[in-house]
Amino acid sequence: MAALSFSLAPEALYQLHDALTCLAKFYDTVAIEAEYDLLRLSVLNSTKTAYAAFVFEADGFFESYSFDMPWDSRKAGRPDRFCCQLYIKALLSVFKGRTREKDTAVERCEVELHEHPDQTECRLGIKMICGLGVIKSYKLTYEPTTVNHAVFDRTKTTNQWSIEPRFLREITDHFSPSAEQLDIYSDNGKAVFTSFTTKITDGKEILKKPVHTSVAIDKKDFEYFLAEDNLHIIITLKDFKAVIAHAEAANSTITVRYTRPTRPMQLAYDFGGVKTEFTLMTAGDADSDIPDSSRAPELSARQTPAPASVSRANIASNTSHMPPPRARSIRPLTGTPGASARGTETSSESQRPPPASIQFDSLFVPADDDRQWDVPNDEEEEEPEDRLGWDATGDQVRHMKRTFRGALLIQASRHSTRVLPPACKTMSPECLPRTPVMRKRWVFRRRNVYHR
Amino acid sequence: MRFRAQLANAATFSKLTASLSSLGKACWMRLEDGIVRFTIIPDQGTQVWAQLPVDAIFEESSYILESNSGVINLEVPIGALHRALRSAVAATSAQLRLTKKGNVPLLALTIHASSWTTGSNALGITDSGHATPTGSVEGEDAGRAGQATTASRPAVVSGPRERETVITQEIPVKVLHESAIEGLHEPRCRDPDVHIILPSLFQLKNISERFTKLATDSKGSAVASTISPKLELSANMHGSLRLAIATDALRISSVWTDLVNPSLDPGQLSQAEIEQLPSERMRALSDNDEAGWAKVRIDGKDWGRVLSVGRLSPKVVACFIHETALILYVYLPGSWNGEDSCLTYYINSYAA
Repeated sequence: MAALSFSLAPEALYQLHDALTCLAKFYDTVAIEAEYDLLRLSVLNSTKTAYAAFVFEADGFFESYSFDMPWDSRKAGRPDRFCCQLYIKALLSVFKGRTREKDTAVERCEVELHEHPDQTECRLGIKMICGLGVIKSYKLTYEPTTVNHAVFDRTKTTNQWSIEPRFLREITDHFSPSAEQLDIYSDNGKAVFTSFTTKITDGKEILKKPVHTSVAIDKKDFEYFLAEDNLHIIITLKDFKAVIAHAEAANSTITVRYTRPTRPMQLAYDFGGVKTEFTLMTAGDADSDIPDSSRAPELSARQTPAPASVSRANIASNTSHMPPPRARSIRPLTGTPGASARGTETSSESQRPPPASIQFDSLFVPADDDRQWDVPNDEEEEEPEDRLGWDATGDQVRHMKRTFRGALLIQASRHSTRVLPPACKTMSPECLPRTPVMRKRWVFRRRNVYHR
Repeated sequence: MRFRAQLANAATFSKLTASLSSLGKACWMRLEDGIVRFTIIPDQGTQVWAQLPVDAIFEESSYILESNSGVINLEVPIGALHRALRSAVAATSAQLRLTKKGNVPLLALTIHASSWTTGSNALGITDSGHATPTGSVEGEDAGRAGQATTASRPAVVSGPRERETVITQEIPVKVLHESAIEGLHEPRCRDPDVHIILPSLFQLKNISERFTKLATDSKGSAVASTISPKLELSANMHGSLRLAIATDALRISSVWTDLVNPSLDPGQLSQAEIEQLPSERMRALSDNDEAGWAKVRIDGKDWGRVLSVGRLSPKVVACFIHETALILYVYLPGSWNGEDSCLTYYINSYAA
């Protein structure tokens, strides 16, 4: 039974609203994770090609923040954090933006979690303390969830630039509203952003072909621009717009990091106690600019059939008995504050045996395995175990469970691998997931895992 | 086949395409020596035949047109062209040219825009931690890291600075063969019964839309969704224009008076010819004689789209052919010859 309560000043409330508005552009549910020193909201979109996370620091963002997870509730495999998910729309209807009401404007917001094992309903209680003694109370039902974090290794970044979001918004303003994709490259002191749509049209429908718009701006407009010239990297325009719209509202300079096409790109910015990270999958010609030497790991990755997570899991469990061949810093995108430090410098709290045959250059997905970005199919969900089934993190979670239960921990720690803090999961009875896929998962979870 | 021109008046061009795009998706754009024509012939609704002298939208000196027939006929998605032109409105220079990408002919609009930075990133703060992101790259990636830093610039900017943006909009078009358009002719109509200069299109549009809305609301929803209400527009040769709508539930009308019935150019028609015109017979009737009014019934929604041309603040002469058609001659303001730059709208009258 976790205890979580925090309160927010009006300004923070508006920021929370802005964050939720931004997250809502990625998917309709948001995962909320509470830790001792932070609250994290994250969204993974339905096609699993985009991940957005906002981390609110306990000290910097909240008026007060308290989180406690009693020892007795930390069973094996259950990390010291609380996770749940909610419909963003439900939250948005509670956390409204600036309103015109003067007298009864919100003065303070208090949020408290009601989680009791003996109660049938678990709720998030939100109290808006307004002027003139008006108090608005909301109770939101949350769902248990397993949080997936996209993983992005900043140390492997080979291309990086930083710019005021205003300039990016001016660029996207020129794009046709129906444009779907965005190609970014640089050439001779210019950075070129091209919007396009990969729509199949037959020859007669030339006029229905989408307009290509390309906007070239000077590299001088960037705070700094460190990227390989003529490296085309393609992302989804809608996601990009969602990020820059929020960054512009927050008035924060965006930093963009990536390696090469088909590897994830991360957009990040921090402001006043809030850290944001957006990890977007990229497309493009993966092999175009890569020296031959670096292709070897990809080839081996291709040899490992990874259409379904079954095979991936097997690979992972097999390799887990092998001595880890190398130590790599593998960090979760939104690890706990200082996760990077913990991830790279300690190895005691959890372990992740790196699969020998798959090198995670960027770790968001195993190299070149595009299918992992596909919509998960239902067969996969039939596996009678918690399956995350979308990226490396998924395997890690499975491993974490075993690790905590058995001998793998010892074995792995002997080899001092770099570790990933486990993705968390929290279950509450009677909080039914809403999507069919999730429901299936839930059935298994309730049957096999969830005993309090 | 070659076409290239600098835009001289992107704002006008943008407004023109906006007005045209409300009536149809595909526009026949005919580039000739000295004249550019835009024609929209929708399956249903109002036709527009517009002709503009080249210098109304392009810089005449930069207008290059090369073709065997001396004419280039294009089918242009007018909405896309309009959206593209919006980028050019505030630009320092913009060029439109016909080009090709693969097998797809394109109208490529290249826009140079410049603006001033506010100097907000002028603090000169360089984050050394960010400046060497490739420093930690090891082993196999070392080679790539070297390439990655092809361009780097410390963020030391002082004060506002001019920044230039180059925007390229590529609009796919279709080049029409002469045979494809030889069957297209501007409609021919008999001489109008009444010709009158319309009042402010903005006012006319607002009132028309209000009437249309009232009529739609008063009808049953099932009927309203399929048939849009018909406006009755009528005018006489004594400076009066009447806008009316009638349904089972209501009957409303607005009347403008003291409008101008423009005189006809004696250089074009002899006095004898003018006297033979139906409009002169209508003028002879007294201003309170109902027979002196020429009336047309037009679709309310379509009329609203036609009136969107008001954004160009033109002078509009409406020609009424009683119970047959309404023809609008829309003359654009500006220094160019009004006779040359004219948009002609052909609106059919619905039967009562």
